[in-house]
Amino acid sequence: MRSLAAFVALSGAAFLMGDYHNDVYRKMLLWITLALSYNFLFGICGQVAFSHFAFYGIGAYSVVILLFQLHVPLPVAIVLGVAVCILVALAVAIPATRLEGFYLALATLALAQLFVVVLNEGGAVTGGTGGIANYRLPAVFGLQIKGAWYTGVIVALLLGTYALLRRLDHSWFGRACRAVRDNPEAAAAMGVDVARTKVVAFALTSALAGMAGMVYAFVDNTVNPPIFGLENAFLLLFMVIVGGAGRHAGAVIGAALLFMLPFFLSPLVGHHHVLVFGVLVVAAILLKPKGLIGFYDAIRRS
Amino acid sequence: MPSVVLEVRNLSKRFGGLTAVSGLDFDVREGEILGVIGPNGAGKSTTFNIIAGAYPASGGDVRFAGESILGLPPHKIAARGVMRTFQHNRPFAGMSVADNVLVGAHTRFGFNVFGKKSLLDEKANRARAEELMEFVGLGELRQADVATLSFGQGRLLEIARGLAGEPRLMLFDEPAAGLTPAELTRVSGVIRGIAERGIAVLLIEHDMHFLLPLAHRVVVLNFGAKIADGLPEEVRSNPAVTDAYLGSHAAAR
Repeated sequence: MRSLAAFVALSGAAFLMGDYHNDVYRKMLLWITLALSYNFLFGICGQVAFSHFAFYGIGAYSVVILLFQLHVPLPVAIVLGVAVCILVALAVAIPATRLEGFYLALATLALAQLFVVVLNEGGAVTGGTGGIANYRLPAVFGLQIKGAWYTGVIVALLLGTYALLRRLDHSWFGRACRAVRDNPEAAAAMGVDVARTKVVAFALTSALAGMAGMVYAFVDNTVNPPIFGLENAFLLLFMVIVGGAGRHAGAVIGAALLFMLPFFLSPLVGHHHVLVFGVLVVAAILLKPKGLIGFYDAIRRS
Repeated sequence: MPSVVLEVRNLSKRFGGLTAVSGLDFDVREGEILGVIGPNGAGKSTTFNIIAGAYPASGGDVRFAGESILGLPPHKIAARGVMRTFQHNRPFAGMSVADNVLVGAHTRFGFNVFGKKSLLDEKANRARAEELMEFVGLGELRQADVATLSFGQGRLLEIARGLAGEPRLMLFDEPAAGLTPAELTRVSGVIRGIAERGIAVLLIEHDMHFLLPLAHRVVVLNFGAKIADGLPEEVRSNPAVTDAYLGSHAAAR
């Protein structure tokens, strides 16, 4: 019931906005969705991975290539797109988690870079540096979903992602992830298969990022390499750290804040808002390691 | 006679040229508290770590419930019913006491995360975790953040977390280390209660004043080999033990 109310309120808001604000609004919703799944991977499971935004791109490109280059029907394209994300995630995570944590960061950094190279060099399949544009979401049951209605799809994705991650977090799996993050040796002594827990969490959150990417592909109806560059992988990390790693509410606050901040900072500092982000992240790490949500908790307690 | 749960047979461990454990044999039975003692460097911790799966052995065998567990990774040994505590408490930070205990119940959950079965599992394991927190004396602190626990309470949490896995064998790595006299009494009582539940208990300890009144049987190690094995009072009066443990000066006194 509460989720239905949230769905109506969050998607209803889109109908009250003009085209520009609706565009900003749904990109913010997508960032929040990504931050939620990245928070599970980084904040809850403690895996320092830089591939999350690349999986967003893999999802987006997969669905576009499947639909418009290979002419696969939409439901099949969605299933195959998720399968691609899971397969790539397993190919990265299984060898990387056998090594120490640092190597996961390196392997995922390499994946993120390689992905952009593949996009640029992909020729007719990926559309090269120009990417793929001027396509349209196929009609679903004869209906063309567009404008504010498509925002409803994004809201459903966000709420679905949140519900899934929350459920997982409150289950034995979520506890195992936190145990693996805090003390892998003690987790193993309690019967937790550390490597498998890491791989499952990585594949699952990467698939969620891929699904968000699929939805994103029809927001601007264009996919191109610069959108999926490495700087966004770091922005995602900043969002989770500033908001408060390990907390769903932290991911939401961090994503909304860092996404909206440039809109307010640009008139003041131009393109130097990245500098402000840097200061913010360093300040968060040094002064408030639990992020804004930890700050909120401290105020509420006192 | 209660059945044998753990059999250690001819166990050896060499680190390069150093023999840490050689030809070690002992059994632990259901409901029995077996203490393994010895001076520093006697091979107690090495033995413990081999049983728990942290180190491979150089020779011999470790059998649990009739099957060899030697060479299994720690999580598989835990899944079979061997749980342990750590000498330096290792709580999972940022989680409540209750959630820490529930991590110990990890292997008691079905594979499913969703659906009714998983909710029933969660409910049953939560109820059991409540019981265990009461049993060790952390009932009042179930919702506390583990960071707020004292060292002694942290040790009790280690015990409750291990018990949550419903072990047939509990391994204690120096449970007396760093505790106040009052906490020692509490931990002794809890360990006795565990054995009364029919669980086999293996204790590695160098504090004889803690161990001798508690253990049903004692194995004494020195330089990696067993030098005595028997009831606490037999061991206490064994000259070889006092010699090794306290030095010949104390034995002469």
